[in-house]
Amino acid sequence: MRVLDPRLEAEGEPMKMAAPLLSLDGAIVGLLDNSKIGTDRFYDHVEDILRTRFGVREFIRRRKPDSSRPAPSATLGELSGADAILSAVGD
Amino acid sequence: MSGPSLQSTVHDVADAYEANELFQRNGWTDGLPIVPPTEALVLGFLAAAGLAPTDTVGVEPVRRRRITAEKVAIAAVMAGCLPEYMPVVMALVKAVCEPEYGLHGCTASTGGSAPFVVVNGPIRRDLGMNATHNVLGNGNRANATIGRSLRLIIVNVLGGIPGRLDRSTFGHPGKFTFCIAEDEEDSPWVPLAVERGVRAGASAITVLAAEPPHLVMNEWTRDPREILETYAAAIRANMLTYSIWAGNYAVVIAKQQREIISAAGWGKREIREYLFESARVTRGQWRTVGKAAIAGRRNEEKVHTALRSPDDLLVVAAGGPAGGFGAIVPPWYGAKSLAITRAI
Repeated sequence: MRVLDPRLEAEGEPMKMAAPLLSLDGAIVGLLDNSKIGTDRFYDHVEDILRTRFGVREFIRRRKPDSSRPAPSATLGELSGADAILSAVGD
Repeated sequence: MSGPSLQSTVHDVADAYEANELFQRNGWTDGLPIVPPTEALVLGFLAAAGLAPTDTVGVEPVRRRRITAEKVAIAAVMAGCLPEYMPVVMALVKAVCEPEYGLHGCTASTGGSAPFVVVNGPIRRDLGMNATHNVLGNGNRANATIGRSLRLIIVNVLGGIPGRLDRSTFGHPGKFTFCIAEDEEDSPWVPLAVERGVRAGASAITVLAAEPPHLVMNEWTRDPREILETYAAAIRANMLTYSIWAGNYAVVIAKQQREIISAAGWGKREIREYLFESARVTRGQWRTVGKAAIAGRRNEEKVHTALRSPDDLLVVAAGGPAGGFGAIVPPWYGAKSLAITRAI
């Protein structure tokens, strides 16, 4: 018996992983907040750890207007200057 | 490849039992057994819908995944549909791909919703759908398998796999299937789809990202206000214990209560207007349900309505003929996902 695969096949160019950062020392890190209660305080802790223990130089913090929808492209553009970005879910 | 027209990878298996084992092993089902999607069956389903395998039925707007007719047909076969169910499944897929439905958010959310589907128009009878006894439960092939088809598409085509993209804390039984017909023949009221702009006599689906139904019962009054006050109480309880945000609620009203409400001269409009006024709470009432910690963060006198306007309420006539029962079907998360009605 021959049966068909129910899954979607990949379309388009394969996505490439960005090269990993060798060090966070002096880096700029973006923090994307999903806008739920608690994310802000969570990121305060993350920022403190990254700054004091890993030498991160600068943070770009942005908040999504809606936790259930993608970040607007303007927000992503503002984050594009970062060496690395964290997108976290707080609640 | 499977041949000149079908695009999907083919798997060779010994028989139907082994086909199901393959799909179970790979997580390509909802946990229940599947009908093996053979090339002949899938081609038959596509022919019934008048579609080519590569036709695009919808594109999920966030991850931009293209849902082809071939994958819809595969899911419909797997779910146990008959070929003639395809137009309903197609309309359903198109509806949930509307941006206002927010399919990605309501699939990925810890809140764990399911698409609640109401079918209107002559296709209900053509397909033998159930609108009466046990309407929210088991027993009808079309109700069960049309709803299940969408779940299998979400799992296999959109990657809505529990624990991966689907992050539901609980989910609910409606995630297997949650599809009913409206009892238009035995109701004095305007069908849901017609209220929402579909031409009378046409077939249509309405879909809402919903939490599980909550049953209400009141068979001790002939006052429509008192009956609806029971629904309002259930909605208020949902607002306080689950989510306070306004959006599309559905109420499903069985015949016994429909007769009382309509005997008083009330139609769906009056029901919507009553529940818009009555289903509201203040933020401060969170204190009565153990949520004092957040009640005081903002103005506690602020009034929250369950509905943004009376039009947010979906009133559905369905259920068995005996018993003073009804159901409220709450939205997943306020107005972050809106109900979509689409002609078939």
